[in-house]
Amino acid sequence: MAHILLVEPDISLGKLYTSSLELSGYSVSHCRTAQDAITSADENIPDLVLLEIEIAIHNGIEFLYEFRSYPEWQDIPLLIVSHVVPSRGALNPKSWGLLKISGYHYKPITKLQDLLSSVERALSSDGVKAL
Amino acid sequence: MVQQDEQYTGVDGRLLQAVVENMKLPLLQVARQAELARMSGSTDTNFSSIELTADTALRLLDNYLLSTRLASRRGSLEFEPVSVSAVLTDIAHQLSKLADQQQCELQVNISGRYEPVIAHRAGLEAALMSLGYVFIEARSAQPVTSGKRIIRLGAHRGRSGIVAGIFTDSDSISNDMYKRAHSLYGHTRQSLPGLVAGSGAGVFVADSLLETMSTRLRVAHHQKFSGLAATLNPSKQLSLV
Repeated sequence: MAHILLVEPDISLGKLYTSSLELSGYSVSHCRTAQDAITSADENIPDLVLLEIEIAIHNGIEFLYEFRSYPEWQDIPLLIVSHVVPSRGALNPKSWGLLKISGYHYKPITKLQDLLSSVERALSSDGVKAL
Repeated sequence: MVQQDEQYTGVDGRLLQAVVENMKLPLLQVARQAELARMSGSTDTNFSSIELTADTALRLLDNYLLSTRLASRRGSLEFEPVSVSAVLTDIAHQLSKLADQQQCELQVNISGRYEPVIAHRAGLEAALMSLGYVFIEARSAQPVTSGKRIIRLGAHRGRSGIVAGIFTDSDSISNDMYKRAHSLYGHTRQSLPGLVAGSGAGVFVADSLLETMSTRLRVAHHQKFSGLAATLNPSKQLSLV
């Protein structure tokens, strides 16, 4: 069973994403802050990370740089699922490659089904599948 | 006094943007909750309806926010050659569920082959999408003529460019009505009483988006249908057709 680390500050959306991922056979750790996400990844290395870059205290970009700075986490597929319009944020297309971002979903137009398809694609290209 | 008014409008606008941004989250929760219920095997058709309604409202709010962002960056927008037929086809696809729900038939009609137009792609898509919402809402409340309620996403060559817009088989759209709507807009709950029961906000969102691309919505006709459309400048560099 592939394990997913979900970094989502909103509790309702976090529960929704968790339920849909669990329904598709994944196990999920839902964290609402960057610090919790780092702790969680330390305890249970995820097969994939879903990240909202608009989070409180530390922003998601900081988390992303921190996360990728550890050698053991550098190749874990990571998908951004965010309220931030892709072209607006600090993440320019150049840094996508640098930070190994597998995909970017803009929340207002992303259905759960689209997200699940991306998760499946990212995991299968990495050789990990849901149950 | 003028300065105070302008200042008030500015603050008011920023406040509205902040409120709209906040409103997106609960709508997103509702839409995805309904989608999850559907995915979990619920056969209650209300979930599909809730999902569609929340997604439509969410997109309209997002399109409004895009119009404010583009307006603030006017002069430095990234324009690119855009295929009108591809945009209209894509918009029709995205509007199809809403049209079905509202018992309207969507048609895409491109009269001829055209070179791409110079536009802000996301802005153009958002404008036509917002306009589509209003037309579907409006047409679904009107009587059926010739057995169907038809909404046509169309494009044709006009005197000064490619005219792209949304048209219907009803005769409820006229220059007078549209002019009056602009004078009523912001002063009354119903700016387009002859067209829709609600505020018809999608029309004004579409017009704002198009204004950032130096064009505006106008009443237009397309193959005996009337509607609202914008004239877009063809890209001279890419005249391949």
